[in-house]
Amino acid sequence: MKRELRQYTTQVTVIGSGLAGFAASMFALDRGIQTAQIGNTGAVAYTTGYFDLLGGDGGEVIDDPWRGIEALRKTEPDHPLSRIDDKDIRTAFSKFTEALSALGLGYTQPGENNLMALLPGGIAKPTLSVPKTMLGGVEAASKGAQTLIVDFIGLQGFSAKEMVANLSSSWPGLGAETVAFPDMESGASVYVEVMARSLEVAENQKRLAKRIKAVLGDSKVVGLPAILGIHGSDVVHAQMEKLIGVPVFEIPTMPPAVPGIRLRELFEGTLPDKGLMLVPQHKANRIDLNEDGIIVNLEDSFGEIQIQSQAAILATGRFLSGGLAADRHGVRETLAGIPVSQPDNRNDWHNPDYFDAGGHPINRSGIEVDGCYRPLDANGNPASERLFAAGIVLAHQDWIRQRCGAGISFASAYKAVEAASKILEA
Amino acid sequence: MTAQEEIITPTIDFQAKAHELLPENASYDSCLACGLCSSGCPASGLHGIDPRRFIRMAMLGMNEELSNTPWIWTCTMCQRCAYVCPMNIDVSVLVGYARGAWPKEKKPQGIVRSCEAQMMSASTSAMGVMPDDFVEIIEETVEELHLGDERFKDLEVPMDKKGAYFFVNQNSREPAVEPEELGPLWKIFDYVGADWSYASKGWAAENFCMFTGDESTWKEMVKQRVDAINELDCKVWINTECGHSFYTMWAGVEKFGLETNFEAASLISYYAQWIREGKLPVNSDWNTGNIKFTIQDPCQLVRKSMGDPVADDLRYVARELVGADNVIDMQPCRSANYCCGGGGGFLQAGMNEQRRAYGKRKFDQIAVTQAQYVLTPCHNCHSQITDLGDVYGGDYRVVHFWTLICLALGILGENERKYLGPDLMDIGLP
Amino acid sequence: MSTIDPAGTKTYDTEVLIIGGGVTGTGIMRDLALRGFQCLLVERKDLNAGASGGNHGLLHSGGRYASSDAETAAECRMESDIIKRMAPECIDDCGGLFVAVEGDDPAFAERFPEHCAKAGIDCQSLSPQEARKREPQLSDTVFAAYVVPDASIDPFHITLGNVHHAQQLTDSTYLPHTEVIEFDIADGTIASALCRDLRSGESVRISAKQVVNASGAWARNIAQLAGCTDVDLLYVKGTLIVSNSRLCNGVVNRLRPPGDGDILVPGGTVSLLGTTSDKVDSLEGLRPTVDEVDHILNEGMPMLPVLRDTRFIRAFCGVRPLLQSSDAGMDGRKASRGFQLFDHEDQGLKNFTSLVGGKLTTYRLMAEKTGDLVTRRMGKKAPCKSASEPLPAGDSVRWTEPGYAPRFWYRRNDPTDAILCECEMVPRSAIDEIVETAPGAESHMTLRAIGLRSRVGKGTCQGSFCAARVSSYLYDSDVYSGVEGRDHMRDFLAERFKGLRPVLWGKQMPQMELAEAFHCGLLGLDFKKENGSGSSS
Repeated sequence: MKRELRQYTTQVTVIGSGLAGFAASMFALDRGIQTAQIGNTGAVAYTTGYFDLLGGDGGEVIDDPWRGIEALRKTEPDHPLSRIDDKDIRTAFSKFTEALSALGLGYTQPGENNLMALLPGGIAKPTLSVPKTMLGGVEAASKGAQTLIVDFIGLQGFSAKEMVANLSSSWPGLGAETVAFPDMESGASVYVEVMARSLEVAENQKRLAKRIKAVLGDSKVVGLPAILGIHGSDVVHAQMEKLIGVPVFEIPTMPPAVPGIRLRELFEGTLPDKGLMLVPQHKANRIDLNEDGIIVNLEDSFGEIQIQSQAAILATGRFLSGGLAADRHGVRETLAGIPVSQPDNRNDWHNPDYFDAGGHPINRSGIEVDGCYRPLDANGNPASERLFAAGIVLAHQDWIRQRCGAGISFASAYKAVEAASKILEA
Repeated sequence: MTAQEEIITPTIDFQAKAHELLPENASYDSCLACGLCSSGCPASGLHGIDPRRFIRMAMLGMNEELSNTPWIWTCTMCQRCAYVCPMNIDVSVLVGYARGAWPKEKKPQGIVRSCEAQMMSASTSAMGVMPDDFVEIIEETVEELHLGDERFKDLEVPMDKKGAYFFVNQNSREPAVEPEELGPLWKIFDYVGADWSYASKGWAAENFCMFTGDESTWKEMVKQRVDAINELDCKVWINTECGHSFYTMWAGVEKFGLETNFEAASLISYYAQWIREGKLPVNSDWNTGNIKFTIQDPCQLVRKSMGDPVADDLRYVARELVGADNVIDMQPCRSANYCCGGGGGFLQAGMNEQRRAYGKRKFDQIAVTQAQYVLTPCHNCHSQITDLGDVYGGDYRVVHFWTLICLALGILGENERKYLGPDLMDIGLP
Repeated sequence: MSTIDPAGTKTYDTEVLIIGGGVTGTGIMRDLALRGFQCLLVERKDLNAGASGGNHGLLHSGGRYASSDAETAAECRMESDIIKRMAPECIDDCGGLFVAVEGDDPAFAERFPEHCAKAGIDCQSLSPQEARKREPQLSDTVFAAYVVPDASIDPFHITLGNVHHAQQLTDSTYLPHTEVIEFDIADGTIASALCRDLRSGESVRISAKQVVNASGAWARNIAQLAGCTDVDLLYVKGTLIVSNSRLCNGVVNRLRPPGDGDILVPGGTVSLLGTTSDKVDSLEGLRPTVDEVDHILNEGMPMLPVLRDTRFIRAFCGVRPLLQSSDAGMDGRKASRGFQLFDHEDQGLKNFTSLVGGKLTTYRLMAEKTGDLVTRRMGKKAPCKSASEPLPAGDSVRWTEPGYAPRFWYRRNDPTDAILCECEMVPRSAIDEIVETAPGAESHMTLRAIGLRSRVGKGTCQGSFCAARVSSYLYDSDVYSGVEGRDHMRDFLAERFKGLRPVLWGKQMPQMELAEAFHCGLLGLDFKKENGSGSSS
């Protein structure tokens, strides 16, 4: 059957749909650049929802990420954050959180110090910006407020009792209760995504609030797993606080969790209306570099798509997102064949101990870029004048252990877009 | 023990089949067990199974259990699992294969009978409308239209017109049970001056054979239609507002390697094009009450076929028709939309309890929009969402696009308002 | 059962103290219990912590040894027959192939049937086509193939079953995490053993009439503790890798003199490829390495090309405690696979027995011989029953069988019996049963202990998700109440990582990245200090 090759032309194509990819698209649209984006589910799908700048170093908590970066510039000059001015990092971070807030997903503005954000196991996460629905947990914890953690019949991997057991020594006013979520009383497994969508219905908010009120006791604050809606969670949050009559906060949960779905659906749902040509949930399978520009090739169920642009931003992430792939002999970049800076031998990829405070060397592998965020080829020259890179595909950082994934993504996307904008024809 | 229970369902080696039918990097072996698929699947938990469990059971060699689980008839093969999966593992492929392996006697009889009806005549109609009957129904309906409305006394409904630009497949529901619903689309074709034709053979759009999992009959149905289109030498094949008939055709042509000399297109894209070109000068002036509409994206047309561009067309058309502010999207939508539970033969499978449990998510999604109308270009969505409203107490109606287009153009007849509420009963009548 | 002596030491009194919770120690425990003796078994870690848990799970037909050691081969044949009859639930009687591929010695292959015949092993020749029909993944360079009655065995099911049965028969006791510190010896008799509970740090004194040293690779150390210098062992490390799915129908052996990477054994839903054979001096801190994994793969690929693209989810290793024989030199493969029973009488002890060497397939026979000696020393006449009394199936010991839990769950059809480990589909009810009644449940169950008694953590994600789900469930069911759950989780995950580390490439890399992001990003387990949120932080 004749199905036409679908061809699109745009100024910039962003490859990747994680934090770096969406940040790049937002920054590009913000500059009035005609932008296309493609990308599949990757690491951001599993996020806590917290946006880290720099929260950890060698197993220790970093309180002041800005001082942390200052130190990083001396100890790790190649670290992506070391290479970007504080001013640009601040701008990129704020622009992103402001944009999300404007789209209906409220985030706190990045400040000078990290917030100690709640995690379901009781250990806190040093992070720079949290969703407004989760801010209450940071505050309740710091004040030691009389707080009730609520979990749900049928919800696996989130236990209010566990949180209380792990936190009670430092937070005596913490209590635990289990309730049944409306229409999910049977005890069969339930998913937070389903609960969150159900809570978008006003009637279900009322029914749940009633059940929580019944077990509230003397508690002055309620902590729930992150289930306060996927869309318009700020509205659901406000509504639940009103209905229960006390402040409510969310706690991130294990995958598959709500915060990642929230972000993906927010981007997918709003950016096309801002002019983004988005092909959601598809991987690019090849890029062709030529003198006139870059062609990004992909295939969806209906056939082949080609996007021709003047510049492309590689924000393809690491192994989980498909930007990097490993075989027994080495790590490679999957799309453009950019050399990957990596340990010489597989034996050096990981330290013997899983929780080694230094992290694992393989996590610092990645692609090298020049000052304009252009990936470097084997000779150390830009692979193309038109190809830029951003996010955790960049080498010399450990986004997991250093808690710096969001910061690197926003800041490098900002710089990559800035550089890309300079080569666009008017 | 009844005779039916004695028939053994052959046991499939699911792992081996997955290896054979799925791309190397998107096969069951790549599963991370993260659960995004199951979290986002409305069939999760029905009969204890969900997409992740389906994969895990295959990996654990539970072939007998998987070969026999009725869950495969509650999965509508909507591919949302593959859509959200970081590895793009498509569970629907083996669900379809497992359906095919069930002995015919054990399959949900509603689907089997629909397919058998399709096989009965050159019509390929699941509702058993014979070719002659179809021609006759069309002629009678056109005649009524001619007599009923002076403005359409010359309207033509071409049949077997060689060389017509559009070949139009017609869903059987209208000719079989509600011929008055045929008129609006004809009027639209007439309005834009489309060069189109029905055919007396291979005219029907639906394909329940695909849902039985029996690939030979799926192929047979598509082939009969392809032959009919090739024979008339039409340029573009479109079908009436129906989701799966679009998918079954192009995917079938590709899957079975059939020769075609036409291209496949969606009627929705043409609605959008005609509006953009001014050929369908619709506007939303009629919607003085700012009645709210939401859109159900058919999985078969959007996620499984043309992706977001056709979803954008749907929205463009809807916004033009009812006013941009009056279109409230369900969340999630477009390619990420949830299946309503009407597709995949679920409506015909006789599993009402499961089908309605599946559809509860859709009902909630609609409830959040507070829309009074659900617009959808798909018969299965139409029926399922209507049923969900009845069962769960929804205060909405489900309408086709053709109804609203004609309404906005002021050419919707009095008898063509079956799916409209009292609020729209009198709008745009001459 | 236990009492507290005036000094505050917990004391036990038993007829036979057995040291070592491997398949041999537990086999002896059951053998003696079947003869009516009450036993107490101590284990420094937990069941199958040594070689019993670090092997292929291959129930040898004897074919492997037919060409080099007819005696061991014949022993394997007889014992595997008995075990297949006595413990069918622990066996996958999948059969095995010996195949020679391009590059292998045709003369060696040709003599194989003759050697099998000598050891009485049933051996049938297949054409290469027939062999590839039976095992489609075999290389197309196969030129000789023989079918033998190899099978796979679940050593955890056997061990748990042995303990469980002994507990039922004579109220015997199992004490995990209990290390022998010293023996109290007087008049050529061990009167008691002073042990330490390694979790609480408390002392435990165990008085026994007979003491059996079945501590496998640690047998020399325990013998020395009793002043015996007669036990000499060769420690040979073997590494294996586990695939994400089952690659072959039956056991596949390379038809050549035993070497590395030449056996692939089905482990229910997975396959195990091994091994290596490297002499080591120390027993502590051993773990599989990247080089070993690469070596096994490179050796195995000529026989099974599918290995090249196979997803592996774990590597593990064990130490074979081999008898030191003068002609073996440094080569572990040539050392005897036979076993030896030491009565230590020439060392001046009358009630101390050490059992050394041997192999999984002959564990029952080893237990029988030990049981005979102990019975004689106890002055009793009670015949061995382990070759005629089937190992009973126990509800709490059945969860290690791959694929058992999901079938149980599916048949049970109870939507509220939530699955906690999604990879291996282990439901809550399995966890409940293990926590309540599995051997070792008398003392506190940890995530690791549950993992050992079930398939929790054995699947694709290697415990990265289920650790959190099971842990939460243990809090909800009041098994955990303090901060110990977090430590147990960290310990469990760190242990799983040892096995993951050498197989991290390909499809296991995204899995690992997801796991690390989860364990550090969402659980904060990498922080050195617990930075519990709350007013004190």
